[in-house]
Amino acid sequence: MLSQDRSARMIQIVIACAFMALAVQLFRLQIIQREKYQAQSDKNRTRRLRLEPPRGVIYDRNGLPLVENRPSYTLSALPIEVRGNARSLAFLADLMEEDVAAVKRRLDQADNPFIPLKLRRNIDYAMLVRLEENKLEYPGVSYETESRRVYPAGVKSPHLFGYIGEISKGELERRQEEGLMPGDLVGKKGFEAYYDRDLRGQVGYDAIEVDAVGREVKDIVGASDRTPIRGRDFYLALDARLQSLADSLLGDKIGGVVMIDTRDGGVLVLCSKPDFDPELFSGTLSAADWQRLLNDPGKPLYDRVIQSAYPPGSTFKMVAATAALEEHKATPETTFPCTGGVTYGDRTFLCHGGKGHGTLAMLDAIKVSCNSYFYRLSMRLSVDEWAAAARHYGFGARTGIDLPAEEPGILPDRDYLDRVFGKKGWSGGMMLNLGIGQGDLLVTPVQMAQYTMIIANKGRYYPLHLVYKIFDPRTQRYYKQKLESRNTAGISQETYATLHAGMFRVVNTPGGTGHASYLEDVVVAGKTGTAQNPHGEPHAWYVGFAPLQDPEVAICVLVENGGGGGATSAPIAGQLLRRYFDLKKEAAAPPAVTERR
Amino acid sequence: MLEEIRNTRVDRVILICVLLFALFSLLAVYSATHGSKVAAIHDNFAKQIVWVVIGLVLFFALTYVPLHIVFALAYPLYAILVLMILGIDLVGSISGGAQRWFEVAGVKIQPSEFMKPVLVLTLARYFAPEQTNPNQPKNLLVAFGLVLLPFVLVLKQPDLGTSLVYLAVIIPMLYWRGLAPFTIFVIVSPVFAFLASFNYYSFSVAILLISVVLYLSRRNKRIAWSIFAGNLFVGTLSPLVWEQLHGYQQQRILTFLGMVDDPRGVGYQIIQSMVAIGSGGPFGKGLLHGTQTQLRFLPAQHTDFIFSVLAEEWGFFGSLVVLGLFLVFLMRGAKIAASSGYRFARLATMGIVITIAFQAIVNLGMTMGIMPVAGVPLPFISYGGSAMLTNMAMAALLSNTATQRYF
Repeated sequence: MLSQDRSARMIQIVIACAFMALAVQLFRLQIIQREKYQAQSDKNRTRRLRLEPPRGVIYDRNGLPLVENRPSYTLSALPIEVRGNARSLAFLADLMEEDVAAVKRRLDQADNPFIPLKLRRNIDYAMLVRLEENKLEYPGVSYETESRRVYPAGVKSPHLFGYIGEISKGELERRQEEGLMPGDLVGKKGFEAYYDRDLRGQVGYDAIEVDAVGREVKDIVGASDRTPIRGRDFYLALDARLQSLADSLLGDKIGGVVMIDTRDGGVLVLCSKPDFDPELFSGTLSAADWQRLLNDPGKPLYDRVIQSAYPPGSTFKMVAATAALEEHKATPETTFPCTGGVTYGDRTFLCHGGKGHGTLAMLDAIKVSCNSYFYRLSMRLSVDEWAAAARHYGFGARTGIDLPAEEPGILPDRDYLDRVFGKKGWSGGMMLNLGIGQGDLLVTPVQMAQYTMIIANKGRYYPLHLVYKIFDPRTQRYYKQKLESRNTAGISQETYATLHAGMFRVVNTPGGTGHASYLEDVVVAGKTGTAQNPHGEPHAWYVGFAPLQDPEVAICVLVENGGGGGATSAPIAGQLLRRYFDLKKEAAAPPAVTERR
Repeated sequence: MLEEIRNTRVDRVILICVLLFALFSLLAVYSATHGSKVAAIHDNFAKQIVWVVIGLVLFFALTYVPLHIVFALAYPLYAILVLMILGIDLVGSISGGAQRWFEVAGVKIQPSEFMKPVLVLTLARYFAPEQTNPNQPKNLLVAFGLVLLPFVLVLKQPDLGTSLVYLAVIIPMLYWRGLAPFTIFVIVSPVFAFLASFNYYSFSVAILLISVVLYLSRRNKRIAWSIFAGNLFVGTLSPLVWEQLHGYQQQRILTFLGMVDDPRGVGYQIIQSMVAIGSGGPFGKGLLHGTQTQLRFLPAQHTDFIFSVLAEEWGFFGSLVVLGLFLVFLMRGAKIAASSGYRFARLATMGIVITIAFQAIVNLGMTMGIMPVAGVPLPFISYGGSAMLTNMAMAALLSNTATQRYF
């Protein structure tokens, strides 16, 4: 019996020791490590919902909303719940008209199965109704309200505004510090991309209590909540009426129009054709639509006014004139004969129109756009002198307009020519072509508009810009664009006066190439260009400004392969200028939007 | 005097423990299920009330059953339950699914649960005669045969947790009956050899330790060498046996050993349970206020993980009360076993103490992350009808033995 007592004692001790060990572990978990597990438990039960702020609205200079938000419904599914639910999965596949396996694969690939996965944006009303009706029957399948961009004024201008789309993996990495999440909509192109940070606003948060499968149980009102702040509103210098007119005037033509306010550099019109419907990108762009856009021979995705560089042709003749006058290689009275062409070395450089213009002074040479005159003028110039004048007008560099992906074009200066042709590979003959805006010279329409503004203002210019005013919802204040005028140093007022006189003749005297832009009540000054190019018909250019005495607007019209600048582009410019001054007469509008300095 | 003793037929300590267990079980099951929108889970509380009531009736009833009747019933009950389990296994293998219970009038009955005390009674009856010496190989073989039959049948269901309970009870019971420590060593050492065999270093250490014990025991050389060889054999063969285990069984063992990182699978259960317990702190979040419980982060929170619910809502001190209650119950049970003059009752009650202790320790250890997830419920507390009746019956046997000290 004694050994039996010892055995009983032994069994009791073993059991007691085991319970001691359990108590020690309990002490460790609940007393020593309590905070760690408390934090883990809080993290388990609370989730911060992201509240997307509405994107900023874009207005034109008259306060007309151009780009706004409308509610849009996005089909979403909670992967953790739907993956294992055959009924919900089948319903979802039926809605999406895809097969169950494909839908399941997408859910399986979700980064976080506890967060609803956005499956299709901008779903139609019929699908929304089906979702709402069957909400309780198929747990996990739901929809979210997001916003999509709409264009209430009918001004879609996709090259200008760009569009928004789901953030890419690469972008997500690049913009880490902005707190973006997969599935967020960000500006992809154009204005939406350039000002994305301001337009997007500040994300808000709402802490909620969730259960183990992520369903909301209740709202937690607490310090971690943050109200979303909507994006900043942008007021553009753009005039929707003029933009629409430019759009319709270009019609099916390929090209672009840039019209700027010479008093502040604000962009009144920025139009590129052909274009595309930006709403294609607001839902899910189908592969077929994307291929069609990519393969369209008119290349509608391309922004021709800032991303495309062309030879400027005769519109560039004011640069050669400026260089010759400033370097005292000629005076306005200098005359040259035109016999239909000029022979330089063993090459003949042709003027247009066959027989020749006879003997001309500078103003008439500009008026009729005589190539022979400018060949001979250019013979007196070095490439350096000409390139310096071009640089004064801003060529060879981006204008700095507030849009992404602007092209700088090509200004063939000595460095460029040495690099491309070799130090001995080019001669003075190169200058003859450059002088009439041909050769390797490439410019963008916005550069041409800036150049026209500088001539119009006789050297004073303003940075080109789309935005003149921003409304910040956080401070409830408007912020005006502060603009500093600049002057191109080194070009005399006399030179500008000569250019003005020449450009006056182009439009206002019989035989001038730009007569189609003539207005009865306002004096317009301009210059046409018919730029030879290897891709077929010449590009039709027109640059001009008005009124001559106290300029308000400068305009550049380009029609790709449009033939003669005077015949194709000058009438477009004429109608736009006509409309501008009519509108001004109607309501003393549009007013100057930025104070001059 | 004899009458006086016979009138106090319920052991007060056991009775108070059982009543408190029933109360705790109802509170915990209510907390774990009341918020559920799934009717099958939500209704579990009402069912548990019924089981507790039936269980208490059974407790009082069995307290008054003379022990010689229990003695007489041991073998027949064992035979019936083995047949039932065999039947379930056959149905399960035909239908191709795991099967642990059969249904009678909408009530699920799990015979493997009832087998826990019946196996104890069977062993107790077998070793009850004075002359049945546990150190005789024949008796040992019979004892292991009695255990291994239900063990294998239930393991095949598959129900690792329940089958381990059968296995766990035999060595301590034989020790209690007087099995020599060296024989225990001979039986237990292959288990260590098996566990150590998955790693060359641990296996070398195990074999070395076994050799040292064999050397110190100064036994016959032939016996020593054959034990050594047997262990070596088990160690080399066990990786092959490992392959025969079900995937989830391997997974559970591996996760427990920290050999797989699986926060969404089996590891998830342990993590969430530890978070629930740890976040309870010293005083708990309050009844029905445990966020892990109420938001359903706990797996199997009304069955195997019921202790996490209590620990989260009642805190460290509340949990200590639960632990203490088990300890009081088990110590009292061991004392009853030791002070009984009837060998069958001495063996049966100690077997019951060991059965309940093993389940409580494995279950509590599992919820705290220091034992593998074996699928063993917490006696008296976890939801489950068969288990509740079984536990009440076992408690009744303790109380019965405490008051029937004379045959």
